[in-house]
Amino acid sequence: MRCEECSDKLDRYVDRELNDTEALQVQLHIEGCPDCMDHYEFQDHLKRLVKHSCDCDTAPKAFREKLRQILS
Amino acid sequence: MAEPAAQTAFAEEALTHLDTLYRGALRLTHDSDQAQDLVQEAYLRALRYQHSYQAGTNMRAWLFAIMRNLFWDRFKGSRKDDVSLDDLGEFVLYDKLKDEGARPEADVLDKIAASEVVAAVDKLPPLHREVVLLVDVEGFSYKDAADTLGVPIGTVMSRLHRARQQLQKSLYDYAVESGIVRLTA
Ligand SMILES: [Zn+2]
Ligand SMILES: [Zn+2]
Repeated sequence: MRCEECSDKLDRYVDRELNDTEALQVQLHIEGCPDCMDHYEFQDHLKRLVKHSCDCDTAPKAFREKLRQILS
Repeated sequence: MAEPAAQTAFAEEALTHLDTLYRGALRLTHDSDQAQDLVQEAYLRALRYQHSYQAGTNMRAWLFAIMRNLFWDRFKGSRKDDVSLDDLGEFVLYDKLKDEGARPEADVLDKIAASEVVAAVDKLPPLHREVVLLVDVEGFSYKDAADTLGVPIGTVMSRLHRARQQLQKSLYDYAVESGIVRLTA
């Protein structure tokens, strides 16, 4: 696999959307290519950063109770 | 109308997805009160249309779809002609930081506060923002995100890709403004 193809597949690799064969090809490439490994680690870190920054917002307790009453 | 017991079970299961719906509504409306109104209406609608939910399918995706459709009806008048994002090139933040001689992960990503990341997400155009919410924040597969949004998987992928480029650009701008990154020029 060349870097260009790896870069094309990086979103899907980070999102675990590649099939096993493709994922393995990307994995083997990045393990032998420091540039692509850096890109991968950066993308993966950014994805986790977005998740953890946003998922701390949870529904207020009072709102949850109110909904429970409305819906029952 | 469903039997009371069935209705209660349905409501109970639906409420296990409340945080996902609330977070999504909050990021779409930028306002806790509006988000609560939106989510409440979505739940009432879900209860009314529960017969159209197929047991065993993805209830979280089904509920999110109801909520985001209400959002577009209510706040956008169903107009989904969204701002489009330009192709900014690959790895905007990463490449710029490398050019500045910084270590993109250790020097920058680790130092950006969660509130700045949320602000960058909030700045995305809503059609791009909701893809990031589903895939990155809630962990939806491309397929589930596509079904939820009523678009092809290819659209999910292209919106996600542009959204991530834009996020990198916003975070880079923030890193420069706040002095996390010092321009060498
Ligand atoms: Zn490579
Ligand atoms: Zn968190």
